[in-house]
Amino acid sequence: MATEARRQPLIGTRRYRPDVMPIAGGLLVLALLVWLGINLVKTPYDFLEITLIGVTVGAIYALVALGYTLVYGILELINFAHGDVFMLGAMMAATLTVQVFSLHDNEAAGKWIPIVLLCLPIGMLFCGVLNATVERIAYRPLRGAPRLAPLITAIGMSFILQNVGLAWKGANYVPVPNILPRGDVFNVGEADYQWNKLIVLIVTIPVLIGLIFLVQETRQGKAMRATAQDSDAAAMMGINVNRTISFTFLIAGALAGAAGLLYALYVTNVRYDQGFQLGLIAFTSAVLGGIGNLPGAVLGALLIGLIQAFNEGLNWHAPGSDWTQSIVFTVLILILVFRPEGLLGERTPEGG
Amino acid sequence: MRKRPILGLLIVAAAVLALVATGCGGKKSSKGNTNTGGGGGGNVTALPASSCQSIYQGSSSPDYLIASDLPLQGSSRTQTVEMTKAIKFVLKQHNFKAGKYNVGYQSCDDSTAQAGKWDSGKCSANAHNYANNKKVIGVIGTFNSGCAEIVIPILNRAPDGPVGMVSPANTYVGLTHGGPGTAAGEPDKYYPNGKRNYIRIVAADDYQGASNAMLAKQLGYKSVFIFNDKEAYGLGVATDFRNAAKKLGLKIAGFTAWDPKASSYEALANKVKQSGADVVYLGGLECENGSKLIKDLRGTLGKDFPLIAPDGFSSFTDTWKNSGGAALGMYISVAGQPNEKLGPAGKKFVKDFGGEIGAEPNPYSAYGAQAMEVMLNAIENSDGTRAKVADNLLHTKVKDGILGTFSINENGDTTSNPVTQYKLLKGGKTTPFKTIIPPASLVKVA
Amino acid sequence: MATPTPPGPAHPSRPSRPTRAGFGEWWSERSVIERRLGIGAIAILIGWLLLIAFSSFDLSAVYVAIVFLLLYVPAWDKLPFRIGRVRAGRLVIPVALIVLAVTYPFYFDRLFEVPIFGPFPAVSTGVYMLVYIMMAIGLNVVVGYAGLLDLGYVAFYAIGAYTVAWFASVQFPNHNVHFWAVGVGSNVPGFHISVWFLLIAAGIITAVAGVIIGLPTLRLRGDYLAIVTLGFGEILPQIARNGDDLFGSGFNLTNGPNGITPIDSPGFGSVNYLTGYNSFFTSDRLFYWTALILVLITAFCSWRLRDSRLGRAWIAIREDETAAAAMGVPLMRTKTWAYATGAFFGGVAGAFYASSKSATFPGDFFFNISVFILCMVILGGMGNILGVVLGAAFLAYLDREGLANIGGWLNTHFGPGGSTVQIWSTQIDVPKYEFGIFGIILLVVMLFRPEGLIPSSRRAAEFHEGVADQPLYDVSH
Repeated sequence: MATEARRQPLIGTRRYRPDVMPIAGGLLVLALLVWLGINLVKTPYDFLEITLIGVTVGAIYALVALGYTLVYGILELINFAHGDVFMLGAMMAATLTVQVFSLHDNEAAGKWIPIVLLCLPIGMLFCGVLNATVERIAYRPLRGAPRLAPLITAIGMSFILQNVGLAWKGANYVPVPNILPRGDVFNVGEADYQWNKLIVLIVTIPVLIGLIFLVQETRQGKAMRATAQDSDAAAMMGINVNRTISFTFLIAGALAGAAGLLYALYVTNVRYDQGFQLGLIAFTSAVLGGIGNLPGAVLGALLIGLIQAFNEGLNWHAPGSDWTQSIVFTVLILILVFRPEGLLGERTPEGG
Repeated sequence: MRKRPILGLLIVAAAVLALVATGCGGKKSSKGNTNTGGGGGGNVTALPASSCQSIYQGSSSPDYLIASDLPLQGSSRTQTVEMTKAIKFVLKQHNFKAGKYNVGYQSCDDSTAQAGKWDSGKCSANAHNYANNKKVIGVIGTFNSGCAEIVIPILNRAPDGPVGMVSPANTYVGLTHGGPGTAAGEPDKYYPNGKRNYIRIVAADDYQGASNAMLAKQLGYKSVFIFNDKEAYGLGVATDFRNAAKKLGLKIAGFTAWDPKASSYEALANKVKQSGADVVYLGGLECENGSKLIKDLRGTLGKDFPLIAPDGFSSFTDTWKNSGGAALGMYISVAGQPNEKLGPAGKKFVKDFGGEIGAEPNPYSAYGAQAMEVMLNAIENSDGTRAKVADNLLHTKVKDGILGTFSINENGDTTSNPVTQYKLLKGGKTTPFKTIIPPASLVKVA
Repeated sequence: MATPTPPGPAHPSRPSRPTRAGFGEWWSERSVIERRLGIGAIAILIGWLLLIAFSSFDLSAVYVAIVFLLLYVPAWDKLPFRIGRVRAGRLVIPVALIVLAVTYPFYFDRLFEVPIFGPFPAVSTGVYMLVYIMMAIGLNVVVGYAGLLDLGYVAFYAIGAYTVAWFASVQFPNHNVHFWAVGVGSNVPGFHISVWFLLIAAGIITAVAGVIIGLPTLRLRGDYLAIVTLGFGEILPQIARNGDDLFGSGFNLTNGPNGITPIDSPGFGSVNYLTGYNSFFTSDRLFYWTALILVLITAFCSWRLRDSRLGRAWIAIREDETAAAAMGVPLMRTKTWAYATGAFFGGVAGAFYASSKSATFPGDFFFNISVFILCMVILGGMGNILGVVLGAAFLAYLDREGLANIGGWLNTHFGPGGSTVQIWSTQIDVPKYEFGIFGIILLVVMLFRPEGLIPSSRRAAEFHEGVADQPLYDVSH
């Protein structure tokens, strides 16, 4: 894009990264591992169960994080409204399952499976179109503007979508019944694994595989990658850049729609302001994994899900849920300071 | 070059607006008195319309004003709006008179749209308005203890003597007396001139926490895990519960916060499982995602796992509905007697007021009405000065009132402290399980 | 900026009229005063028409109209006198505005009700507006001058508020330090330092905090910086919330969710701001005038800073960081100064506000406040002090009084049993959608007038001509 000049590392910025930093970062990670190890030894079954909870939540984060990373990769824009698209997707899923198809607690498998399978594409399409519309209204007119401008419209759009949710469902939590079965899949000692957690993974994994196939193998995916690398060059090669960007937003929104459905079914309640919160966590995941990097976003999301679950669930010297929010943002700040390119990302000028 | 037209247009627009005088229906008060919010006149100046509604008054113009300070926007709106109706109901019953004085009433709002709940800036601005308006002789409020922490010291030092306050809803202990759960300097820091001007007709959290702890003990539980929502109310009542439970010999298996913004509490529920607790206490509000916490706790620990909660969960139907029925059988306490045990005055109020609003009154409405009764009584027996009214409030004795018979002690606390423990039944119905009056020795350590 | 330019084609004729060219030519040949008189006359005409429509009248409206026309119609800046090196004429309007602002408490309650918006804001609302003006001017240094998006400005507000709360309250009862505090008995425990010193101290402490936050993060660019500041804006309130027993040490730093209250008020000798001095110097007025003085100082500093060497460096960085670095502008130092300056103003404003409401709670500081202040800067015009002041005043007014009044007006006219025509059948809670409205403001302003309502000419040029190369592909929309 227009920022070619900015891609060059700046003179003299490198000296702000003294060598103690990697060592400090390494020590931090080491301390974390020791803490986890001790907890594992002390309470192995609980550790396993908490890990499974973290993976489940992380899988939902991953779907949202991918949306951030796709959009950031192509436009270098933090789409603040993405979390709220996800929230509206969850509300849509709540409406479809509860009001349209009137599913109840502990529904028979023959009834909920086809309905959920039907709701999934509807929700994905709804959020995809919504996200592409957001791009069309709020970001496309600002292509040539300073980078601040689309960032500000993104925040504005985020608040507008939140208020759409507020007007739609009111200020209280929208409860969803326990549609997914909660029986145990397996027990290891005291650790249980329930069906609703497994179903989250069963839906997430094919969606992820489909996305990777789309980006790696198809023509459209090639266009996306080309645009992400250099939109001017891509335009010269005959790629319709605007359409590719719209398509990217559509895909990102569809992922958020899938996440919204899973969230509604697994977490079983949603409120108008929860999208922003979850969006921030998902963005942190994307940064942790390396923004613009698809496997990185998944890895980052799983790690953040685990960090949250360990912090809240482990007994031995865990800071506890008072601090979850701070810990997530501290991870974000630390990763940006120590390793701005993320765990799997390539070095970008943002980190200098 | 580009900026002049806009600046010019702005100024012209301002001038245009300036030329259009009071458009809104021509509701216009006399010159120099514009700020009365439309209802003023006589010898009182109304509180500003920016946060207060117009004066509710009888046929003769009032000598004094009573203001109520409640959050009228956001999550508590339904309760607080009904409280203002109950206050008006009582004032009308008294024919807008307290003894020989004519009294008007203004309902003021201490919340902002931005926060969706009480706002510290608004509380302070309101308090200054009450203090500086000589005709405000008493204040009913506040609803939130945090707001009371701001309003009390400002009214305590009001230029024309301390303004008496009657709170129908504040439960934070430190407002009236010290104790293990309060901060240093409380409650004296709220009364800088050394004289008390605040009473509450609702039992403080230490009573509720102590009675909840007694319930846990009486039900035979040994080890309790305590949650709080990290808000002033939730943390306060959870701390009081912890102290009382310790005293009663219960084991504290854990004391932690739940983050209302979190999406899942399964990991927390797992922590409870590890801790070996046989009962969980939920110190906080249902609307802070409490129902989701109930769902996850019962999902992990078993659907009959015993839960005890204070009146933050007392919107029974919401608790039932939002938890998808997972809250079945949990114990929820509410200060005061259950409706069927109310005295004749209370029953009559529930019937008459319910008839006027066309619905079963919210429990808080009775407290609002009782607060107004207490206030009117204090004004009736005064010489018309603020100091005397405040003094009278501290010597309140109520016989067969809406909330029964009680008096106010020198701290400003009510002596009537029954706490009713309800059991949640299907569909959000409840049955009074037990009414507990915690002994003073236990309350003292809570 | 330098030359008084005539107002542009702000005439009311419809653009499609064939006479337009003729009228436009005639119009542009008129002198400045003639044109302004023309616009004034049209304004009065429209006013009369609306007056007939609303069929009620208040004499105060005429006074206001006269004052505005007196300020607007004469070309004051053409006055030939000089005071020192400054042309006297250029001072007329600012001085008149300041006089109007200072005397506001004496006439606001005699003014008419603005249609739809209701009465003019009360003095206590004025204090609130002024505090937010101060914060908006501070954020403007970071966002408007230096072009760094700060989404965690509320953190600086929080640090300022807690600084004054710690050193002017009973929060630390084991100490008993009194220093020029007003209205506090000498036996009251805790730190009680005069609020005047604390305002400065809060500014300095907040600026230091800004530097500490900034040093590791200012290397990052644009959106990364935005998200890191957002992170700090979320972490600090959580520390405040959990600070009653920090890490289980039992040390009560912030009193947790119960907040710190009461906080001492400012004052001099026997003048205590909390109780007021007499019926002239009431509490509200004292706070209002003090806030006004603080705003004037802030605006003045901000204005002088913009034209200083540092200010020019900020603008250079905003426009092109690489070029600025190549020209020898020290990036880190310059950005850090922007951060520290913005933080300083935010800290002072937060400290003053906490002292004026005599309380601080962790619940006062949430992300929406940061966006609220950002919205003020964007609406008024990034980089332009007058624009930011007006934007902040307007939005703070909307938050406190305006939206509720507008909602009331809408509901009585179009709501259930509406007096004009019933459009919706249940009351609409307009203030509930405040942030949706702010979101629309952000979106619309950025799309259609990114330089804000009253822009700085330089910022406008950046937005319209772009600071970067235009992309090759089609950007039309």
